Amino acid sequence: MTTTAAVTGRRRWVPYLLMAPGGLWLLIFYFVPIARLVEVSLQSGIFPRYRFTWEVGNYLRLFTDFLPHLQRSLLYGLGATLIGLLIAYPLAYGIAFRGGRYKNLLLVLLLMPFLMPFLLRTLSWRIILADNGPVVEALRTVGLLGADGRLLATGVAVVAGITYNFLPFTTLPIYVSLEKIDRSLIEAANDLYASPVVAFWKVTFPLSMPGVVAGSLLTGIPAIGDYVNAELLGTPEQYMLGNVIQSRFLRVLDYPSAAALSFSLMLAILLILIPYIRATGTEDLVA
Amino acid sequence: MRSVPEELVTTAGIEAVPAVRLDHVTKKFGDFTAVDDISLEVGENRFFALLGPSGCGKTTTLRIIGGFEEPTAGVVYLHGDDVTGLKPYRRPVNTVFQSYALFPHLTVWENVAFGLRRRRFDDAEIRRRVAEMLELVQLTGRENQKPGQLSGGQQQRVALARALINHPRVLLLDEPLGALDLKLRKEMQIELKRIQQEVGITFIHVTHDQEEAMTMADTIAVMNHGRIERLGSPTEIYEDPKTEFTASFLGASNLMEVQVVDGSAGRVALPGGDELRVPAGRLPAGERKAKVGVRPEKIRLVEPGSAVQGNTVTGRVVDASFIGVSTHYLVKTAPGQEMAVTVQNLEDHRFRPGDDVVCVWNPEHTFVVR
Repeated sequence: MTTTAAVTGRRRWVPYLLMAPGGLWLLIFYFVPIARLVEVSLQSGIFPRYRFTWEVGNYLRLFTDFLPHLQRSLLYGLGATLIGLLIAYPLAYGIAFRGGRYKNLLLVLLLMPFLMPFLLRTLSWRIILADNGPVVEALRTVGLLGADGRLLATGVAVVAGITYNFLPFTTLPIYVSLEKIDRSLIEAANDLYASPVVAFWKVTFPLSMPGVVAGSLLTGIPAIGDYVNAELLGTPEQYMLGNVIQSRFLRVLDYPSAAALSFSLMLAILLILIPYIRATGTEDLVA
Repeated sequence: MRSVPEELVTTAGIEAVPAVRLDHVTKKFGDFTAVDDISLEVGENRFFALLGPSGCGKTTTLRIIGGFEEPTAGVVYLHGDDVTGLKPYRRPVNTVFQSYALFPHLTVWENVAFGLRRRRFDDAEIRRRVAEMLELVQLTGRENQKPGQLSGGQQQRVALARALINHPRVLLLDEPLGALDLKLRKEMQIELKRIQQEVGITFIHVTHDQEEAMTMADTIAVMNHGRIERLGSPTEIYEDPKTEFTASFLGASNLMEVQVVDGSAGRVALPGGDELRVPAGRLPAGERKAKVGVRPEKIRLVEPGSAVQGNTVTGRVVDASFIGVSTHYLVKTAPGQEMAVTVQNLEDHRFRPGDDVVCVWNPEHTFVVR
């Protein structure tokens, strides 16, 4: 009797024990830093002596001083995510449905540029989008850009950079969800009078939604918080909230307002995320 | 079992345009010929089975009728119209897929309504017909469930309802019962046959299960290596399989090499010299050698010296196994061949291994195979 009870007792603890390493990791490297971040965000004073004073004013600076940066973060981040989806979906679809035996090769090709360091990749966009570079000249020739129009140092360049840098993160989840769609479902739709276009919208696309959601989250969250693309491809005119946070933390050494801005950005992303996940309702798709 | 003699099949063909007609259809995948020059007619309101082992081309034939594969050569007619090259969504046929292929993101109701919605029926009509169809397949009350929440048998019925609701002129079924357990499969066989008779639609059913084909179909085409080996009613092809493949694929057979003594009189001789009789007309004209067969359950065993009529072969019992409804014997015959014999347990006397016996059967039950 006692042994049975002991065994049952031990069994009950096993799942928690298994969860312990992950939980501990999250506690030390996630919850503690966030708590610390919130604490710092409510401090005031002058470097290096900051004290906790419930300084809510740090948060108000977002609206008084940095509202344009927040707007740009959201505009560029969400814009790049949307453009990324428009590029990634056909790409993933092509590889999954038309790739045939070249599927793996195509996936490797997709990932190949990302063997190069992030900074180098971003810097190379400065050459591509340079004022006398091929893209600008082509656009000038067809008249889409004026004679003195430019791409580098504009929002377009920043969005292009972000889109490019996060493309694999959008493509791969979409590819995975397209790849696992049972092809006979599409045949069944065709059999039930759906033309290929209708079958795509009624069957393929809804079933690929988990990939679209995962891809857009993997891209959208870091894209909104990005600052490297704005720094390398834009000017202070294009700076996003990430750039402000970076400079507050590392240059100005104004930790409280940097922390407050970081926390605000996290909240902003969360506020966008919740209705998005609710609306797409991916939990229903798992059959 | 309802059987339709071949003459009737042909007569029906003259009166009405066949529901499906394949005219010299061939399908190649690279070097592999999946369907090899098949010509076939399926009459209206038939339950037609394409039966064969995996890789025999039965599923490819079905997919060609459904429009999922284009034939490499040949023409497909549906009710007299040439539909070769017509996409699946433009053909008046519907399919019950092997894995059901139910849309996992849609409810049972939405799955069944899918075809009608694509054809833009009005909502009231769709609601009426879906309710009617769910009642036919006994799924009323499951409208709002997702396919993932249903059992295999229920999913099977949703797949059937989703296809039938469109009133197709021909319903294609690709091994629809393959994923079900034995008991459920037996139930669904009867159910499918009931539904077919109720809706009066031509069913073309692909299966590798000979019993399933014989239970349900009124006409069976036995396929092998992309060709039709034998076509006819279940009784016809069982009693006179005509080819060695059909004889062994459909039930068990004892096949024997014989010399033709007198072809027109149906007299043949076993290697030992014993003579057998074969229904006249079954032996191919002008051949010196032939292969004849008899089903194990057509043979009786008697003691040597008994007065009997019919074909006889002497031998010795090698093995006897009692399995309740019958006893299975293995008899080594004088020409050195083993014969399987299934005897109903009507008498108390049973033979034991080592007993000398005579195998006796009615000459009418002897068939000739190529």
